[in-house]
Amino acid sequence: MSTTRRTFLGQAAAGLGLAALGGRQVIADDSAVAALAQAKDWGAGPTALNGLPHFAPKAKRVIILWMGGGMSHVDLYDHKPGLEKLKFQDLPDSVRSGARLSSMTAGYKSFPILPPIKPFKQYGQCGTRMSELLPHIGSMADDICVINSMQTEAVNHAPGVAFTLTGSQVPGRPSLGAWLTYALGTQAKDLPGYVVMTSTDEARTCGQLFYEHYWSSGFIPSRFQGVRFRGMGDPVLYLADPAGMDRAAKRDLLDDLGDLNRHRLGQMGDPEIDTRIAQYEMSYKMQSSVPDLLDIDKEPQHVLDLYGPNVKKRGSYAFNCLLARRLAERGSRCIQLMHSGWDQHNNWSYHLENMTRDTDQPSGGLLKDLKQRGMLDDTLVICATEFGRTVFLQGNKDNPKAFGRDHFGRAYSTWMAGAGVKRGSVYGETDEFAYNVVRDKMHIHDWGATVMHLLGIDHTRLTYRYQGRQFRLTDVHGEVAKGVLA
Amino acid sequence: MRILPRLGLVAVLSTIAGSLQAAAVSGSIDYGRDIRPILSENCFYCHGQDASHRKGKLRLDTLDGQRAKDAVIPGKPNDSEIIKRILTKDPDEQMPPPDSNRHLTDKQRELLRRWITEGAPFDGHWAFNAPSRPEEPKNRNATWARNPIDRFVAAKLDSYDLFPSPEATKETLIRRVTLDLTGLPPEPSEIDAFLADQSPEAYEKVVDRLLASPHYGERMALPWLDAARYADSNGFQQDGDTYQWVWRDWVVKSLNENMPFDRFTVEQLAGDLLPDATREQKLATAFHRNGLLNGEGGNIAEEQRFVLLFDRVDVTATNWLGLTVACAQCHDHKYDPITQKDYYSLMAAFNNVPENGTAGRITQKIRSADPMIDMASPEQKAKKAALEKALNAARDSLKKEQVAWQQRVLTGDDAVADESIADLLRRCPTPELTKDENEKIRKFFDEKVAGSLESRPKQQIQERENKLNDLKDDYPMVMVMSDAKPRDTHILERGNYEVPKAKVTIDVPGFLPQLPPEAPRNRLGIAQWLVAKEQPLTARVLVNRMWQTFFGLGIVKTSEDFGIQSEAPLHRELLDWLAVELRDNGWDVKRVHRLMVTSATYRQVSKVTTSLLEHDPENRLFARAPRFRLPAMLLRDQALAASGLLVRTIGGRPVYPYQPKDIWDSLAITKERDFTYPQSTGADLYRRSLYTFWRRTVAPANLFDASQRQTCSVRTTATSTPLHALTTLNDPTFVEAARALATTVMTEKPEQRLAVAFRRVLSRWPDDTERALLTRSLGKQLARFQADPKAAEAFLAVGESKRDPALDPVQLAAHAAVCLGILNLDEAVSRQ
Repeated sequence: MSTTRRTFLGQAAAGLGLAALGGRQVIADDSAVAALAQAKDWGAGPTALNGLPHFAPKAKRVIILWMGGGMSHVDLYDHKPGLEKLKFQDLPDSVRSGARLSSMTAGYKSFPILPPIKPFKQYGQCGTRMSELLPHIGSMADDICVINSMQTEAVNHAPGVAFTLTGSQVPGRPSLGAWLTYALGTQAKDLPGYVVMTSTDEARTCGQLFYEHYWSSGFIPSRFQGVRFRGMGDPVLYLADPAGMDRAAKRDLLDDLGDLNRHRLGQMGDPEIDTRIAQYEMSYKMQSSVPDLLDIDKEPQHVLDLYGPNVKKRGSYAFNCLLARRLAERGSRCIQLMHSGWDQHNNWSYHLENMTRDTDQPSGGLLKDLKQRGMLDDTLVICATEFGRTVFLQGNKDNPKAFGRDHFGRAYSTWMAGAGVKRGSVYGETDEFAYNVVRDKMHIHDWGATVMHLLGIDHTRLTYRYQGRQFRLTDVHGEVAKGVLA
Repeated sequence: MRILPRLGLVAVLSTIAGSLQAAAVSGSIDYGRDIRPILSENCFYCHGQDASHRKGKLRLDTLDGQRAKDAVIPGKPNDSEIIKRILTKDPDEQMPPPDSNRHLTDKQRELLRRWITEGAPFDGHWAFNAPSRPEEPKNRNATWARNPIDRFVAAKLDSYDLFPSPEATKETLIRRVTLDLTGLPPEPSEIDAFLADQSPEAYEKVVDRLLASPHYGERMALPWLDAARYADSNGFQQDGDTYQWVWRDWVVKSLNENMPFDRFTVEQLAGDLLPDATREQKLATAFHRNGLLNGEGGNIAEEQRFVLLFDRVDVTATNWLGLTVACAQCHDHKYDPITQKDYYSLMAAFNNVPENGTAGRITQKIRSADPMIDMASPEQKAKKAALEKALNAARDSLKKEQVAWQQRVLTGDDAVADESIADLLRRCPTPELTKDENEKIRKFFDEKVAGSLESRPKQQIQERENKLNDLKDDYPMVMVMSDAKPRDTHILERGNYEVPKAKVTIDVPGFLPQLPPEAPRNRLGIAQWLVAKEQPLTARVLVNRMWQTFFGLGIVKTSEDFGIQSEAPLHRELLDWLAVELRDNGWDVKRVHRLMVTSATYRQVSKVTTSLLEHDPENRLFARAPRFRLPAMLLRDQALAASGLLVRTIGGRPVYPYQPKDIWDSLAITKERDFTYPQSTGADLYRRSLYTFWRRTVAPANLFDASQRQTCSVRTTATSTPLHALTTLNDPTFVEAARALATTVMTEKPEQRLAVAFRRVLSRWPDDTERALLTRSLGKQLARFQADPKAAEAFLAVGESKRDPALDPVQLAAHAAVCLGILNLDEAVSRQ
C-alpha cells in the first residue's frame, strides 16, 4: 500500500540487471524506465537521469531569450565598418555565390548594400562592439560572449525556430528545454522545471506564431514539455478554482478525494493511484505557488527599474525577464522567453528601434539583476534567433521608409552570458559584408552541443530511443565550440 | 515481502527477465531474440547495410558478411574476429570503439561467445517473413481459455509458472468494454440489463451490441486520426482552416460499416485511381492531404512540396509497415535493409500530385490547395449556383449602367466633374483607347458614379460577394490526391531537393516481396501491395495496434517500429496468429476486435498484486487486465455522458466547446486574420471531443497528452501531471458536468443521491466505506454553501446551461461539488 512509484520503479530497474541478456525483450528499456522514475517527480526536487550530468556542469540552469523573427546581425552585433562607404552599391556576386535566399528576394536582380541603421560603439573593458541601440546589453558586455558566426540551413521562420530549439526543421523532436529537464530533472519544488513565456511587439507587426512544438517534448514523455505561462487570463491553464469554490472548499474536496483514492489503492494495488494522489496535491500547491511567483509587488523599486518601464505590464518582455529571474531563483531548469517582432522586411528603421527599445533594457537588466545576486555564476543566459538578415536591402532603394532586410541564415549573431562562458569576448568572424563566415563557424548543432556542454551534458551521449534508433538534440552532428567556454 | 505462494524460491527465476536468461543458459540461443539485438544496437551503425558509412568493409547484418573476414567462425569463438575485438583492451582495436557511446555488458559478450560456440546460427528478421498460422498451444489448465488468444497467453504464463487473474465483475467488465469500444460509459439501464442477464452469452451480447453501435466508429476513429495527423487547419503562420472534416466523417462511417481493412487501405491511399472511382473513394484519399501545409511568406514552394512528399512516405511506412524509413531520405538505413533508392522509389508514387507545396487563400479563414473535391450538399451547390448567377447578373447590370452613363455624359445629360474623363469618353466610340484609359474610365465610374445609382448594382455585387464568401467558409472543398501531374523522381543527395541524383521509378522496398508484374506501377499498385497476402508487415502492425487499444501496450511495444531495432515480441506466436486471422478472414476488423474483447485474457481483473508488480511490472504477459488513464478526449466524453449533457449527433463540421479565452489569440501574433475563438452555443458545446475543432498550431486546451497531429503517431502516452488535475478540477466543462450530474440525481432519496451519481460514472455502487466518505464530503460542502449561499449560486452558474431553478441551490451546489470529486476519482479517470 505504501509502495510508491519510485520504489516500484527502483525494483523494476534492479530487474534490468537480470534482463541484460538481449536487453530489451521484456522490460522497458533503460531510458524509458529512468524517464518514468524521474517523471514521477515532476516538480518535486532534483532528479537527474542516472549518470547525469556527464561531467561537472558550469551552469545549473539556462534562460533563453528568443528574438523571434530573425534579429539583424548587420545592424546590432556584427560590426562591418566598410559598409557605410558601399551604401546602395551592389553586393558583389562573388560574395553572394550559393547562398539560398527566401522566395521573397531570390528573384532580385540587384542587391544594394544597406549599412547598419545606427553606428556601433565599443562597450565595457573588453571593448566589444555593438550597436548604440543596445546600451543596456552593452553595459554588460564584459559578461557576454557575442557569437558572430552562427549558421543555419533554414530560410524561413517556423523551420528555423524548430531547427534551433529542437535540432530539426520539421516539427516533432524534443526541444532543448525538454532534453535538459529530462536529463537533469528540476530543482523547483512546486513549479514546473521548464517554463515558456511569450511576448510580442505591441504593433504585432510580424506574422509569426508561437507554435507548441517550439517547447514540445517530442517523443520523450510529455511531462518534459515546456509549461507555457500565459500573458493573460490564468497564467497556467485552469489554475483558478471554479467560481464559488474557495481554497478551503477545494482543500476539503481534495482530502475526501484522497481518502477515496487511498481506499481504492488498497483494493487495486496499482501504484499509479498513489502517483495520481500526489499530482492532485501538487496541483493544489501550484495554485498558490504560481500566483506567488507572479506577485512582483514586493520587488524593490531599484530592482524593478533595472528592467525598464514595462516591467509591471504582465505579458510584456520586461515582465517576463523579471519572472525569468524569479523562476531561476525557485529552481526551474530551463526558462524560455520568446519575443517576436524582428521580422523586418520593411519599415526597418521604425521596427528596429522599437524592438531594441523593448528588449535591450530588460535583457541587460536581467543580466545585471542576476549578477548582483551572484546568480550569473551558475545561470547561463543565451540570446538567440532563427537567422539574421541580409546585408542588402529588401524593397525599393528610392523609398527609404519602406526599407527592410530579408531572412539570412548563412551568417548571423547570437550571444551567451554567465556560467561557463568566456566573458567579454567575441567568437567567430564573417567577411567584410557580414555574409560569409570566415572563422569559427557555429552551426545550429554546434550551438546546441555547446549549450548542453555548459550544463554538464555530452550531447552525443544524451539520447532517447524512439522508432528503433537513438535520437539526440544534435542529430549526428555538432561540435562543442571551445572558444566560447571560459 | 510476499511472493507468489505457489512458487516459493523458484519465483526468483520466474521474473520474466530471469527466465529469458534461463532460456539462454540452457542452450536455446535464438539469433533473432538473443543475438541480433546486440549486433544491431552496437555494430550495425558502422557495419550494417549503409555502404557509404561502412567501416573496414565489414558488414555483420548478413550471413555472408558475418562469414567474411573471419568475423564469425562457427564453433571457434576465440578465432572469430568479433570476439577478439570485443575482448581486447587496446582502445584502437576495441569494439565497439570507446568513443561510440556504446558498450557491451559481460553477459552480452558471453552470449555472443556462446552463439559462435553453438555454430553461429543465422536467420532473417522475424517481422520480414510473412506470418503463418502457428499451432495453438496446449495449456496446463484446459478450461480457462475461451478462444485461441487465451491459449497463447496461458501457455506463456504456464512457462513462467504464473496464473491468470480471475474474471472481473460484471460491472467492471461492462464499463471496460463500453469505454473501449465506444468511448462512452454504459448507461445505468445497460448495466441493469447486463446484471439481470444470467445467460452464458450475456457478455457476448453486450459486445455485439457495442460493435453495432454508431459510437463504435467514433471511438475507433481516434487512433486512426492520430496516425493520419488529421487536423482542421494547416499549421504554420496563417494556420488556415480546412474542410478535411468531411474525410473524418468518412473514416467514422467506414469503421462503423466494418469496411474490410484492405479496402480501407486502398481507398485512402489510391481511391482516385480505382476504376470508375466514386466520389466517396476519391474523398477517402484526403488521408494523404492531412499533412501540415506551409503558407508562410518567403517559403520556397518546391522545398515545401518535398516536405509533403517526405511526410507521405514516412506516414505510409509507419502506419502500414511499422517501419521508420526517414533515415533513408539521406542515406541507406543504418539498421533496416532499406536503401536510399527504396525510399525515393516509394516516394515516386506520391510525386504526381498537381500541387505546388503551398496553401492558397479561399477565404480569410480558409486556406487550401489543389487538387480538391467538391463535397457540398445538393442544397449548398444550388445555393452557390444561385448566388453566382445573381452575382453575375449584378455585374452585367453594372456594365450596362456604365454604358448608359457614358451615353449620358456624351449627350450632356450627366455632368462629369473630371474633364479628363469627359475627354476620354468623347473619344470613346473609337477603338483607340488604351487598356489603361479604359481602366481609368471604369475606375472613375466605379468610384464616383456606381455607388449612387438607383438600381444599386454595386451594392448588390458587394452583398452577393459577401454572401458567396460566407458560403465558401462552409462549402466543403476537400483536399484529395490525384496523379494528374506526372513528374520524374530522383534520389536526392542527403535529402536535398536541389541536388537530384539518379532517376527512380515507382517500386516497393527491395527486401520485401516485390510488386507482381501485372500490378499497376502507381499509388494503386503500392496500396494493393500493402495489403497483399505475402506482405509480412501490415497485418501484424494492425493487430498489434488493436491489441494496444485493448491491452494498453502492444504485443510489440514499439508499435511504430517493427524493424530490426524493434522489440522482439515475447508473444510472437500470438501476434502472428492474430495477423493471419485478420488477413485470411477478409481483413474483418470487427471480427478481431470481438475476439480480443471476448477473450478470457481481456476479462481478467486489473488488480495489481505485489508479486505481479515485481515479476512483470509492465504486464507484458497479460496475467491481469491493464489499468490505464483514459485519453483526455474520453475523459471529457465520459463526463458529458454520465451527466446527461452529451449530444450524440454523429458527424458534421467541427465544433468549438469551452476553451479559456485568448488561447488562440495569444498564440497568434498576426493580424492577418481574426483568431477569436468562435465558441459554440447550445448543443454544439456538448458534442463528443472527436468533433472539437483541432487547430494544428494549438491543440484544444483541455485535451492534454493528445497526439500532436503533426506527424504520424501510432502510440499515445498517458502521463500524470498536476496540470491534468487542474484541468479536470477547474475546467468549466467538468464543473458544469458535475452540476448536471448532481441535477440528475436530486430526484433520488437523499441518502441514495451520491451513490447513484457514483454509479453513473463508475458503473458500480459504492461500498460502505465509500458511502461514508461521500456522505462526509457532502456534509462539509453543505456546511460551506449554507454559510455562503452566494458561493452556491456562483458555483452553479458555471457553464452555459442553466441550473434547475426548482432545486434548492445550496443542496444542489453541495452535491455538485461532490460530483466534481467523483469525476476526478482515480477510478473515474481510469479504464480498468
